[in-house]
Amino acid sequence: MDSWTIEATKQTPKVCFNAENHILELKGESYPENIAEFSAPVFSWLEEYLEQLEDQAFTVNIELTYFNSSSSKMLLDLLDKLEEEVADNGKNITVNWIYSADNDTAEEYGEEFQEDLESLIFNLVQKDE
Amino acid sequence: MLENLYNFKTELNQRGIFFCFSGPISQELLVEIGDTLKNKMRLEDTSSSTVLNVFAMFVEQVQNIIHYSAEKIPLNEPEKAELSSGIVVVGYENEHYYVLCGNMIECKTVDRLREKLTALQNMSKDELKRYYKEQRKKKVPEEDSRGAGLGFIELARKAVKPIEFDFKSVDAGYSFFSLKTII
Repeated sequence: MDSWTIEATKQTPKVCFNAENHILELKGESYPENIAEFSAPVFSWLEEYLEQLEDQAFTVNIELTYFNSSSSKMLLDLLDKLEEEVADNGKNITVNWIYSADNDTAEEYGEEFQEDLESLIFNLVQKDE
Repeated sequence: MLENLYNFKTELNQRGIFFCFSGPISQELLVEIGDTLKNKMRLEDTSSSTVLNVFAMFVEQVQNIIHYSAEKIPLNEPEKAELSSGIVVVGYENEHYYVLCGNMIECKTVDRLREKLTALQNMSKDELKRYYKEQRKKKVPEEDSRGAGLGFIELARKAVKPIEFDFKSVDAGYSFFSLKTII
């Protein structure tokens, strides 16, 4: 699988995959009018990637300063998909939820995602300023 | 109107309204206005979590207008079928920011919307959190929803006071829906 990058806009995050260290990164803000349109290609890539992924560790770093309610649904779908791969197929996946100390909302929303996950490793990571 | 514009502006200022927009609104406008509002609040030394919360309310409420306003202008461009109209007000009163939005809706949706919003008004923060997570888990959002169906719950969760709303009957087919959230 090759590395790739979708550059950030004001309303959509930067999404990039580094094939060397198997890190997928989402960074920025997410509040487009139609999140499905934005996330569909990422999800179809993920589907293919997970299918060929063996014991290699896969890391997903999520650092979103703001996301709207439909993006929150998209994030849940993403985490559900990863959780399923860990629980059913024994994949080695870690999610890092990265937030800055002054962003209470990002911290709180990370905790809420964490509460509902059982198999997937989901770390809350406070960023050093 | 020319002579009264200054009076209109003064009245807005007196009411603590620092942003006011009425007309067709798009996602592109939302992005630019949202940016300007964030800058303005930061310059006033508003805490960064308050700035983000006001911005979040603004985004959800304006996207509500974009998705659900019954006042739409058809466009020729195929990828964007129509342009929605509404009113957006952002102000500061009693030491809190607020976002007030309004748009036309079809009368037939009034009862269902009133029921939904009244239920949210009466929920505690814990109940709202549970309800939010429950709704988010649903594979298919409610039939009349064009997003994830979470917008109003998100607003109710972030607001420091219960959300306020009003319906004004305009004619046989349409009502005007207003929604106020306090941050």
